[in-house]
Amino acid sequence: MSALRWRRGPLWLALPLMAALVWFAAVGRHYPARGDLGWLWRVVRDGPGTDLDAVLLYYGTLPRLAMALVVGATLGLSGCLLQQLSGNVLLSPMTLGSASGAWLAMIAGAVWWPWLSAHHPDWLAMGGAVVATGLLLLLTGRHRLGSLQLVLAGMALNILLAALATALTLLHDQYALGLFVWGAGDLAQYDWHWLPWLAARLLPPLMLLPLLARPLALLRLGLGTASGRGLALLPALLAILLLSLWLSAVAVAAVGLIGFISVLTPALARRAGARTIAAQWGASAALGALLLCLTDGLAQLAAHWSSDSVPSGAAAALIGAPALVWLLGEVRDPPDPAPAVPAVRLDSRLAAMLWFGFVLLAASTCLLTRDAHGWCLAWPEAIVWWLRWPRLLAAGAAGAGLGVAGVILQRLLNNPLASPDLLGISAGATLALLLSAGLAGVGLAQVGWLPALVGSVSTLALVLWLGRRFAWRPSALVLAGLALSALLDGMVQFVLARGGLDTVATLAWLAGSTNRVEAPAALALALGVGGCALLAWLGRRSLTLLAAGDALAVSCGLSVSRARAGWLLLAALLCALVTSLVGPIGFVGVLMPHLAIRLGARAVGAQLLAAAAAGALSMLIADALGRTLLYPMQLPVGLCAGLLCGTLLVLSLSARRGGRS
Amino acid sequence: MKRLLCLLCLVLPWLAAHAAPTRVVALSWDGAEQLLALGITPLAVAERADYRRWVARPPLPPGVLDAGSRAEPNLERLAELKPDLILTDAALAGLRPRLERIAPTRVLLAFSSQHDNAATARALYLQLAREFGREADAHRRLQALDQRLAQLRRQLRQRYPQGAPAVCVIRVGSPTVVWLYGNNSMPQAALAALGLQPGCPVETGAWGVAQRRVVDLAQLGDTHVLAIAPLDPGGPLWQSPLWRAMPFVRAGRFATMRSTWTYGGVFSLQYLAEAIADGLAHFDNAPKVHLHID
Repeated sequence: MSALRWRRGPLWLALPLMAALVWFAAVGRHYPARGDLGWLWRVVRDGPGTDLDAVLLYYGTLPRLAMALVVGATLGLSGCLLQQLSGNVLLSPMTLGSASGAWLAMIAGAVWWPWLSAHHPDWLAMGGAVVATGLLLLLTGRHRLGSLQLVLAGMALNILLAALATALTLLHDQYALGLFVWGAGDLAQYDWHWLPWLAARLLPPLMLLPLLARPLALLRLGLGTASGRGLALLPALLAILLLSLWLSAVAVAAVGLIGFISVLTPALARRAGARTIAAQWGASAALGALLLCLTDGLAQLAAHWSSDSVPSGAAAALIGAPALVWLLGEVRDPPDPAPAVPAVRLDSRLAAMLWFGFVLLAASTCLLTRDAHGWCLAWPEAIVWWLRWPRLLAAGAAGAGLGVAGVILQRLLNNPLASPDLLGISAGATLALLLSAGLAGVGLAQVGWLPALVGSVSTLALVLWLGRRFAWRPSALVLAGLALSALLDGMVQFVLARGGLDTVATLAWLAGSTNRVEAPAALALALGVGGCALLAWLGRRSLTLLAAGDALAVSCGLSVSRARAGWLLLAALLCALVTSLVGPIGFVGVLMPHLAIRLGARAVGAQLLAAAAAGALSMLIADALGRTLLYPMQLPVGLCAGLLCGTLLVLSLSARRGGRS
Repeated sequence: MKRLLCLLCLVLPWLAAHAAPTRVVALSWDGAEQLLALGITPLAVAERADYRRWVARPPLPPGVLDAGSRAEPNLERLAELKPDLILTDAALAGLRPRLERIAPTRVLLAFSSQHDNAATARALYLQLAREFGREADAHRRLQALDQRLAQLRRQLRQRYPQGAPAVCVIRVGSPTVVWLYGNNSMPQAALAALGLQPGCPVETGAWGVAQRRVVDLAQLGDTHVLAIAPLDPGGPLWQSPLWRAMPFVRAGRFATMRSTWTYGGVFSLQYLAEAIADGLAHFDNAPKVHLHID
């Protein structure tokens, strides 16, 4: 008991102390001549008067602090309610897709319904959050609220909606450019008007809280017990869920996306010793407020060093992502079901027909042209073909490379969700490319694949090192990868929030573009991917053995550690090659190995080839969609592929409910 | 007669090859602006609708087509349009080899930290005029531009007999973020042409623009501040006590100017200079904020 108490004490002491210290340090740097507490107190007590520093403090810094506290508390409470409702320690507005849904709705509002977004941002955000969460629950089923499966599907949905938001931003850059800083969570204030706004929207629903304590306490005992004691389950569940969504939507409407606070604080509250329902509410709110205050203080401090504004949300990701990895230790989830090999074996004739249809579809989309006269399916003119084949080749090679990398990672780690994107390897390569482009002062296209390789290898090593504590359990590893992706995305946001007009070009590259690919580069990518795929196919026996278990591999005379390292390096190299040329591409790597198995390729060698083919074909289809759908505008192929495959992934992640396959 | 026809057959292709381009596509807005200022209607412009909304002047004639987005122009669409000249900017320089296959491509390196953007805009305009065989016309238009700028400068000198004030042009991005136009930006070049002092402390950059927090504006020195009237944000900010406490607001040195594109060609200097001069005129009518300090 005393050991427990000792462990709790520091948290309650250290967090407020740290938050206060950082905040005062930030204020001290803001007002170098006035950094003393007496002045602060006089301004708070007497009001600002006419002194400029005092006005800035009273109407800029203090409301910012108040917003950080209120929004942090709101986010903490929102996450706490969700986790109490589901018994799932990883559930939060972020992992439920609702935060991204709200954010997407806000962007759509800024572009299409400016009146609504100016006057009722809260309803707009709430609409987005409800639709996103509703979609997820519809797909996974509400009985799976407690599962990791839901969290994974939710995180995937989160990425998907964020990609949609990016697409909107890309298509309407002039309108949305000002939203970048805000999108990364901006707490800067210029008066006190947000506080009453928040109070009017938060206080009335919070009156409901006392009514919810009993249902939540009953829910803790299990759904069956709860309904046995006369609890009207559905209304109670719905009320709690809606309240939580409302809290997070209001926070998004007020300050933009700030992740991690909501998922972290309930866990911190439990560690700090909060046991009862109400105690957890209080502790989550308090810890959320402190945590956001701390991250915002850090963001303000960082802004002084960089002379550019640093978004608080990005700072939250930098702190929250590592903490989320640390939290993974709390996950008590039954081991995931064995790698999804479908029970139903596809009739080989049907599989052949499906393959035939797939190839036919992809081939015909290659010839699909849309021009001023409409759609047409024909061999294009020489010049159009000359323009088109490098991007087709690049897209196809990228898809093939990601498919092969996905198979390697999934077989090697015995993890049906391992892939370059979900493990954060693509994000690592992206960050390395952005950093080296920034440091060398050259365009993203000129950086080359070597920095990308360094980034992807180090990210892969980091994820595996983080995952060792959980014996590389599939979902834990993927969550570590997703957390790492969020961390790297936070860093990318730092780069983007520096503003300037090249932001749009960077965003286009981040969305995975093949428009600029030259024929030699496309050929080089195709050769590189082809070489790696050939290498993988030649070494398929060693991959089969490694997948079957170390003991068997050793008994067959394989040097396990060396072979494993070689395979990991090959996967990282594939990811680096693809990312350095066409940018990060999501969801292709994770989906293609499964598609290959479903289409009849069960042995490792066959799966490698089939996944490569399926990846290439999917990317060709995505490329055609991006080329034609919004003519004469174009959507980057990575974005289309991500939307296409991401939708399929969310569907397939949630289709496993009820044991059906 | 036959010989003459033969000669004509030989000369015609040569003439066609050396005639001024007529089907021009502008993938950058400053390129489109320069073309229009030469009296040439481009065949297509990237992001046509947004050009009309954001750049606005000179207006785009109704028949102009859309060439896709500025970051990712639709190459196949370009090929289909069969232009005889493509104008791009430095951001698309990597696309040049592909564009060259469609039509001769000119990369207008308009904005860079390595040169004076305003002087470059003028030089690029004259280069384009030479290529289109419209030099006389271009010189006439530039002369008119210079005369107009000189006229505005004279008016301002009369308005400020004891010396020209410093002016800082800003754009409000959101209620908490502003962009400051400093060295090497088109607004600052317009200020120089008007004989005004530069007031934004922004280091020289490619676009001459820097993003700052609104609260950082408190550190602006003894300068007038002109905010380019934004489309949406800014309204509530300007009523806030924080904004009204800014030194330049208290001293009555703040006004708005009408929305003008700040990354344009050489004639955007005139639009900017006119907007700045009109904006400064507001100061004379604006009620000074008097503070009673006891």
